[in-house]
Amino acid sequence: MTATTSAAPAATTAGAFRTVRRRRATRSLVVTSALAMAVTALFVLTMMVGSFQLTAGEVIASVLHLREDPSVDFVVRDLRLPTATSALAVGLALGAAGTIFQQLLRNPLASPDFVGITSGAGLAAISGIVLLQLGGLAVSGLALAGAVGAALLMYVLAWRDGVAGYRFILIGIGVALFFDGLIGYMLTRARLSDARQAMHWLTGSVGQAGAAELRLLLGALVLLLPIAVLLQRQLRTLELGDDTARALGSRVELGRGGLLATAVALVALAVAVAGPVIFVALVAGPIANRLLGPATGGIVAAALAGATLLLTADLVAVHVLPTPLPTGVVTGAVGAPYLLWLLATTNRQGAGG
Amino acid sequence: MSAWRPLLVVAALSVVLAGCGSASTSGTAQTAASAAPSGPWSFTDGSGKTVKADKTPTRIIAHAGEAAALMSFGIKPVGIYADESVTTDLNLKDLDLTGIEILGQEWGKIDVEKAAALRPDLIVGDWWPAEKAHSGFEEGVDEKSKKLAELAPVVGVAQGKSIVDLAEGYESLAKSLGADVAAPAIAANKKRFEDAVAAFKTAVAAKPGLTVAAMSPADDKLYVANPEYAPELLDLQSWGLKVINPDTPDPGFPYWENLSWENADKYQPDLILWDGRNYKPTSNAEWGEKQPTWFKIKAAKAGAVAAWPAYWLHTYGDFATELEKLTEAIKTADPDIGD
Amino acid sequence: MSNSTHVTRRASALGPGLAVLFVALALVAFLSVTQGSRSIGLLEVLHALGSLNSDVSTDSTVTLELRVPRTLLGIVVGAALGVAGAILQGVTRNPLADAGIMGINSGAAVFVVFAVTVLGVRGAGVYVWFAFAGAIAALVLVYAIASLGREGATPVKLALAGAAVTAGLASVTAGIVMTNVDALNELRFWQVGSLAGRYAPILTGVAPFLLLGLVASLGFGRVLNGLALGEDVARGLGQHVTRTRAAAFAVVAVLAGAATAACGPIVFVGLVVPHAARFICGPDYRWILPYSMLLAPIVLLLADVLGRVVAAPDELQVGVVLGVLGAPAFVGIVRYGRLSEV
Repeated sequence: MTATTSAAPAATTAGAFRTVRRRRATRSLVVTSALAMAVTALFVLTMMVGSFQLTAGEVIASVLHLREDPSVDFVVRDLRLPTATSALAVGLALGAAGTIFQQLLRNPLASPDFVGITSGAGLAAISGIVLLQLGGLAVSGLALAGAVGAALLMYVLAWRDGVAGYRFILIGIGVALFFDGLIGYMLTRARLSDARQAMHWLTGSVGQAGAAELRLLLGALVLLLPIAVLLQRQLRTLELGDDTARALGSRVELGRGGLLATAVALVALAVAVAGPVIFVALVAGPIANRLLGPATGGIVAAALAGATLLLTADLVAVHVLPTPLPTGVVTGAVGAPYLLWLLATTNRQGAGG
Repeated sequence: MSAWRPLLVVAALSVVLAGCGSASTSGTAQTAASAAPSGPWSFTDGSGKTVKADKTPTRIIAHAGEAAALMSFGIKPVGIYADESVTTDLNLKDLDLTGIEILGQEWGKIDVEKAAALRPDLIVGDWWPAEKAHSGFEEGVDEKSKKLAELAPVVGVAQGKSIVDLAEGYESLAKSLGADVAAPAIAANKKRFEDAVAAFKTAVAAKPGLTVAAMSPADDKLYVANPEYAPELLDLQSWGLKVINPDTPDPGFPYWENLSWENADKYQPDLILWDGRNYKPTSNAEWGEKQPTWFKIKAAKAGAVAAWPAYWLHTYGDFATELEKLTEAIKTADPDIGD
Repeated sequence: MSNSTHVTRRASALGPGLAVLFVALALVAFLSVTQGSRSIGLLEVLHALGSLNSDVSTDSTVTLELRVPRTLLGIVVGAALGVAGAILQGVTRNPLADAGIMGINSGAAVFVVFAVTVLGVRGAGVYVWFAFAGAIAALVLVYAIASLGREGATPVKLALAGAAVTAGLASVTAGIVMTNVDALNELRFWQVGSLAGRYAPILTGVAPFLLLGLVASLGFGRVLNGLALGEDVARGLGQHVTRTRAAAFAVVAVLAGAATAACGPIVFVGLVVPHAARFICGPDYRWILPYSMLLAPIVLLLADVLGRVVAAPDELQVGVVLGVLGAPAFVGIVRYGRLSEV
């Protein structure tokens, strides 16, 4: 399970090359559409279950304003649609950002959860809640600033000999631990209601999304996802032409920087909406890659895998467990064993690069 | 073949999931019974806003302590949302809640869908002037929970400087909702409270030199309550009890002054009011054993401690019960133990 | 090679260095007994220490029953954290290794929360044993997971397993705490490491484990030197790498587990002090270990005294003071330390 992007073409002749490419393109298309279908189905299902059971037809009719039924409309449009949309948007953003990190840093473990970015956002948000008694959009703004700050800190601390290799990850884990320590201190300074608000935020829950933050994230997704896909395509072309890489070096660096900035923005906004929902960014990419097979690395597929994961986790968190819990509790409790399994089963990869 | 298997799983999953919903039916039916009450109705909320309705509300959803207050006047809410389990919430745990829908047992989480099914016509939650919000609608709760306010108008009495004001406020709210506050069983509570206050004042007046401090011991520090932020302590002060105002409250969190255990003997009251949320009859002995300096407070050493209701009381009856206990403690206290 | 003469010259300077540190530790300990959030005159302190009677006055109670146990606890806990950090950094060859990174804190936290919610127990005296068990369980889990696979517990796998276990346990903790106000309240105070409120029973409870661990740790100097040269070289030198690593982890589990159980998670001491020791002693673990053992309690006690003096009559928890002071040190290690060896 590797996240590296440009596998050298297996075939040598132009014809075979074309066949391989066509097969890869087909597979990529099929996988992506299947994931999109799954996401759509889950999106509708999320809005069907709850204290009111609704049919898929009722949900779709209400969302698309095909039929007017005030009680159904209140439940669907006012209560369930915002949560479902935020699960969808946050999942897409985390999935896309995770796979971008993993590809650029050439490391399946280099998700934003592990390089301190999520923790940085968390620390900034908690400080706002506890010290300044902030709420709503201001907390989200701080989370954004914290994520960007943590990314810059990681850049300053770890970029010296490039980002490849495990040094980056080790420093990231150290930075994350440092932020987590400060978060713990913040919590002791809080009055109990603030501490609850902070803890609630910290666990990550798609139910806490405010309308304004959600709109911001949706806007960012519409804008940044296509940019990320374009940048990735351009980078691949550049990286394939190895001989001219010298001349193109600065363009490659620029492309990588742009892609990474896109990913940081997506993570930051996702954290701003739902708090730090851990492990989604880590596992979405590898799952998408396994489905994609040789056509690995699709950002859209990874984003959709992220949305599938988060929608499922939210369903479990809210409807399956005896008491409704924040989404992050479920993703954490499921994601940690996955990561451990990954560690236990990969041989060379775990040895360090 | 094996390469395609994951795709089939995804495709099958989406079909299965899509099929799931059609089997379930919508269950929105709700019988709205009960006699048509008179109207029109209006109430001036703690925020200063006057809420009006054509008919007197009958289907009420209330926050924990507020529900207890209404129930003490015979108004039974249809739903309750609490910040913790209703079996541990100090305002609710002794009440009979059968027939009342529990809509939330965690801060920030209210099942608005279930609440909608109750078709409420009034939501009752204290108004918190500092937060500028009613209980359950503070900053940081789930956005979804805040939608509760769209089901019905929200009213509440302002939290602030006195539990008596709070109890009186809910008395007038209950009255406006049609409660017979003069009914013997209900009026008895208020009478008991008034008697308790009178007895408390007499006991305090009999010991003019008596000082008390409200404390909450914890593993790493001793917390001394600042009456400025505790309405029940302000009430006690207004009835003549000398509750010590700590001189350096924590600037970031002025509800308390934090004393390191080295400085536990900084205040020497004649009677210690112990945070009722974690007081047991054995607490004093336990802490004397555990904290070498706890018994350096002379009142603690003499066993002059009494529980103080450091949670937001809402009813005459509950306050009367607590006052009666405090009065007993004051009667037996020795005003010359402390400094 | 001339290496041996170099080593002896070093040793001739490092030996007296240890004695200097020992004196410094004694001075800091004296400071910790005489200074605090309550102002007690030097004479009263000396009088209390001389009479050994804690019932004379509040000052003598504070001196003998609060400050003396607190200082002794600070010494053993500090020494344990310093040595545990040094061993971990040696055995994992990760300069950022520290007990916290290996999941110890989250393991202890989850057990504490469990004790509060499920068993209804309260108070630092009882948490100790839950936290101890949780810390050891988490470390064993991390080590076991990292050991799976062909090449065993490599530094990177250890760090990642630690991060994964931490994240997973933190989710469980959060899930419990969200529905239980009491647990949240207990947890958020436990979460910041502190020497306050820990008296003789806790000290006598954990001290045997810590002392045993500290004595055992001194035997690890040579094998850590071997491991530092790389596993293949260590094997070439006749070391049983897997067994050594497991033994080292057992010692770390006892040291860091008991320390965290007694005081809550204390950050940075285990991370920063071994680097300072390495800076003084060079790469020889036979010196790094005793230097860490003396330097760490000096740092911990100084931070604690600072926290007690600056906020009187309140106190700052030592974890907070170390967090503030440790952050620049951490950045320094990352930026200028020998991370290239990873």
